[in-house]
Amino acid sequence: MIVPFGHVLLLAGILFALGMFCALARRNLIMIVLGIEIALNAASIAFVGSALHWKSIEGQALVLFILAVAATEVSVGLAVIVYAFRRSGSFDPNTYNLLK
Amino acid sequence: MTMSWAENAAIPAVLAATVLPLLAFAAILLFARSRPRLSARLSIGAVTVSLGCALFLLAGHWRMEKPVQVTVRWLVSSSVEIPFGFLLDPLSLLMLAIVAVISFLVQVYSLGYMAGDPGYSRYYGFMSLFAWAMMNLTVAPTLLQLFIFWELVGLASYLLIGFWVEKFSATQAGKKAFVMTRTGDVLFFLGFLVVLLGLGNLSILEMNGPRVTGLMAPSALTLASLLIFGGIVGKSAQFPLLTWLPDAMEGPTPVSALLHSATMVAAGVYLFARLFPFFSLSPTAMSVFLAVGTLSMLLASTMALVSRDIKKIWAYSTISQLGLMIMALAAGGYFSGVFHLTTHAAFKALLFLCSGVFIHLYHTNDIFELSELDCRGLRIPATCMVVAAAALAGLPPLAGFFSKEVIMADLAALANPVWFTAGVLGVFLTAYYAFRLVFVVFLPPPGSHETAPLGGRSDHGTDRHEAEYRAMAWPLVVLAGLTLVLGFFEHPLKSFLVGHSPGSAAHKAGPAIWVTLVPLGMAAAGVGLAWLEFGRRGAPRVGFVDRIPWLRRLFEERWYLDHAYRFLLDRVVDRGISALCFQTDNKVIDGGIDGMSRGTVDGGRFLAFLHTGGIQARLLVTFAVMVFLSLYYFFG
Repeated sequence: MIVPFGHVLLLAGILFALGMFCALARRNLIMIVLGIEIALNAASIAFVGSALHWKSIEGQALVLFILAVAATEVSVGLAVIVYAFRRSGSFDPNTYNLLK
Repeated sequence: MTMSWAENAAIPAVLAATVLPLLAFAAILLFARSRPRLSARLSIGAVTVSLGCALFLLAGHWRMEKPVQVTVRWLVSSSVEIPFGFLLDPLSLLMLAIVAVISFLVQVYSLGYMAGDPGYSRYYGFMSLFAWAMMNLTVAPTLLQLFIFWELVGLASYLLIGFWVEKFSATQAGKKAFVMTRTGDVLFFLGFLVVLLGLGNLSILEMNGPRVTGLMAPSALTLASLLIFGGIVGKSAQFPLLTWLPDAMEGPTPVSALLHSATMVAAGVYLFARLFPFFSLSPTAMSVFLAVGTLSMLLASTMALVSRDIKKIWAYSTISQLGLMIMALAAGGYFSGVFHLTTHAAFKALLFLCSGVFIHLYHTNDIFELSELDCRGLRIPATCMVVAAAALAGLPPLAGFFSKEVIMADLAALANPVWFTAGVLGVFLTAYYAFRLVFVVFLPPPGSHETAPLGGRSDHGTDRHEAEYRAMAWPLVVLAGLTLVLGFFEHPLKSFLVGHSPGSAAHKAGPAIWVTLVPLGMAAAGVGLAWLEFGRRGAPRVGFVDRIPWLRRLFEERWYLDHAYRFLLDRVVDRGISALCFQTDNKVIDGGIDGMSRGTVDGGRFLAFLHTGGIQARLLVTFAVMVFLSLYYFFG
């Protein structure tokens, strides 16, 4: 393994932080879904790196699950966003506060 | 023992005497509100039974050896036990008989006086309430039970003073009486708390017993005596709480006769006599009592000198005579105080009831207006009034002469001649104002009105009026008879009261002859002066006090006592205590509650931030919680 394990985890950490920041700070529903995708991918990177590091296949297997979850999440998420946009005419998450 | 039959019958007799009026009260207020004749019958029936029982008890225990006390446990709370029951000793039996007799006569009299009043049933209900409370007060074996009924008679007094609720002044007077007596009762309450702390219980026999001195320090005894005396001052309208009694005359006249002269206000003096051995333990307190009694007696007499209202004159006179009783008791004369209480109950009730007849017929309280009317024509009340006034003035051979004589002997036995002098001065003033009234009312200046035919009541001579007049007249005759003969019962009463009562053995017989003659001379001088100024043909009908405007004004304004109270209320209570309470309420209590609610709201706002309903905020919270949890689990 050329890339040291620490760097992989660092990359995963940075990506996760960026994804979380995107999901928390952007004022657009699509960007939130995007941020969550990035955070999921950061987790995938950490899994793949760990699998290599400990010579274990479970990490790679879990990544397949994550891909599936991510794909589902995007499709369902985008569908919800389209529906929500039709109802309210806005992408801003702050306007969705009926539960307050 | 020969008395056992009396003792066996004592319990049912006391129960009947003290419970029946309550039943009558309840029955009248619940079922007979719209049936005046029935309520009068219920009430008078109950009080007649009470009267019979009281006289039976008095006769049955005439030579009793020791007090009879029967109590049951009423409340038990850990170590504290509150008994309820009755205590029969000479004093309580005598007082019970007085209360029953006067209650009975006054209720009969009220048949005439209150006839046709829309509140007739209510009146008899309240009278029964009063009779019940007062009789229980007299037989109470503990201070707590006494206090409960003490408050109940205060309630009855309030209800009866303000009986004519449509009269604003009557309701005001009721309130004033209630508040002023309550002021004294707070002190009374504190006083028996002091006793409770020292003695551990409130039994009257124990308080009067020998154990007290061992259990209570002299300072605690003095404090307790003074505080309990506060209650006496309030109830018996002594200085400085004396101005409620003249105002209480707003009530119906029979009420004034029963409550505000003969029995309820005498409850204060009765309490004094009840705790006489206890009070005697504190010489300091006794001298304070003596001073208060003297001051009240003289102040009230001076107020009576200038009053024109017939009932108020007798009210001032009541305060003054109660002051005299307290003087007598405080001077160590247990018997003289109680004896004067007895005779006073008879002649003062008589005075009020006679005045009531005039007020009922002529609808005025003003003595100068009454003198224009034909009061002399009403033979029975006029005669009875003169008899009672003579008794009040202390002229022989009426009851007042005998009781005043023993009081004066007790006062003369004191080391300081001031008290005797004050007493003699009081006798002079009393004789003067009593006969001022008598001469003004019954000896009108000739030509002021046509000499009305004797038997002026025939002007009102329908049958109904005749019946009312008879109902009012015969209690007067009975009371006048009592006033005539009661004085001759001095020695039997003395052996009954003193022979078996503790703490009064110190009374020494044989007062000097001048002790009898000087007060008698002063009384005669008072009557003579009144005759010179009001009675004789061509009299100026202006009293010696009326010639000095400022003095007259001082007396009329009751020594500015009411002004002092108003000032005290405005300055100290309203602007001081009330303002302080207002500030406390505003700042502390309201502020505290506002702060609490504001804190709740702010806390809610803060927590609501976690619950904005926004997606991102939730995500942020979830994320933050996860971060902190992981930090805690990984590094904590």
